Amino acid sequence: MAHIIEGIRDAINLLLSFDKEIYGIIGLSLYVSLASTLISGIVAIPIGIVLGIKSFPVKKAVIRLLYTMMSLPPVIVGLVVFLFISRNGLLGNLRIVYTPTAIIVAQVLLVTPIIMGTVYAGARERGEEIQNVAYTLGANRAQALILLIKELRVNIFSAIVTGYGRAISEVGAVMVVGGNIKGHTRVMTTVIAMLKNMGQYGMAIAIGIILLLISFIINSILYKLQQGD
Amino acid sequence: MDLQITNLQKYYSGRCVLNIENQRIKKGSFLGIIGPNGAGKSTLVKIIAGLVEAGNGTVSYNGSGLNTAVQQNMTLVFQRPYLLRTTVFNNIAYPLVVRKVKRQEISDRVNSVMESLDIRSLKDQKAWTLSGGETQKVALARAIVINPSLLLLDEPTANIDPGSILVMEENIKKFHEQGNSTVIVVTHNLQQGKRLCDDIAFMHKGEIIESGSADDVFNHPKNILTEKFIAGEILI
Repeated sequence: MAHIIEGIRDAINLLLSFDKEIYGIIGLSLYVSLASTLISGIVAIPIGIVLGIKSFPVKKAVIRLLYTMMSLPPVIVGLVVFLFISRNGLLGNLRIVYTPTAIIVAQVLLVTPIIMGTVYAGARERGEEIQNVAYTLGANRAQALILLIKELRVNIFSAIVTGYGRAISEVGAVMVVGGNIKGHTRVMTTVIAMLKNMGQYGMAIAIGIILLLISFIINSILYKLQQGD
Repeated sequence: MDLQITNLQKYYSGRCVLNIENQRIKKGSFLGIIGPNGAGKSTLVKIIAGLVEAGNGTVSYNGSGLNTAVQQNMTLVFQRPYLLRTTVFNNIAYPLVVRKVKRQEISDRVNSVMESLDIRSLKDQKAWTLSGGETQKVALARAIVINPSLLLLDEPTANIDPGSILVMEENIKKFHEQGNSTVIVVTHNLQQGKRLCDDIAFMHKGEIIESGSADDVFNHPKNILTEKFIAGEILI
């Protein structure tokens, strides 16, 4: 309990200290998480909708694969990405290992199936019905698609919030591909893990509280946007 | 809108669910499609609406196939209508918005149709807060706001209270009487068929067994199956 009280006090002090390193870590965490969520959203939302409303021969297998991908162990993803981008890897010439870009790549691989699966579930449930309504009221294909996206906005926002939650809280994959390098790839989750290993529980909890606070603020913004209807 | 159905067949998993050789639905008529469950009534309406593809045969609309102009001139009210996650006003305005009608005209037409259906008080209400009866009224308002040449109604009063049923029927009838639209209503409710329709088609196992004026079909059925259905001997 003492650690938690100490952590709350430290969190307030850290935020008020305007320490460059701390704000750098917070900034990088936000940057990689938001970037990976954005990229994943751009890729996953249209595919999730198509999977939900279209039928094709291998659809069942694709959905099974998608659900499997949703529960991918982050460390495994980190390891695979690392093997690809490490110096001797297939994509080694990109020289992105231990950079924020590597973290974004790993997070995109983790977040994309989550967003896709959530959007797919909504589109499967209501997609056909929404499209039918659109067509019977005179909408063309483009108008029906726009309506479908608008009507699925709650699912889409939920997917983004869930995906963002996965990205900001990720530690295993981020540690493997980013390396927790001070001032370069150190994010809030990896710094918490490091501080815990160093026995600095108060500081670890302080960073954790800041992480929670940021998540709360971002989720509140997304929730507010979703309430737009 | 004048409809001509010719050699229409629809199969699901190898099973024939619809088999209509020849059926004409004249412009301006009010046709009720009655029949037991699984008769193919809803499938027929969905094929006419272009939501389900016909396996074989054709449906022609004023002599032509299903095209954009035809689609722009017909609407369908489902048994359980889906209202968009927005206000009642925006729901009713949607068919006008997709037709790029001017804002002022949209407002005038939506207000007018809400007035006629006595749902003006619901204007700014969110669609998901409506009762079953109100939902059906909004769906009807949304379907008739464009004044379609063909109005398709698939069990439009199946899930609402008796009071709302009569109000809905009144409005459907009023819409039909005001213009020259063709109205096709699928109904389980024989009394509704009698109250609303000029013509009746009785369907059984995918086929139109008998069709004619409502008076003839209800009072002087020619086919034994029709007679049994009207007498309540074939379960709905």
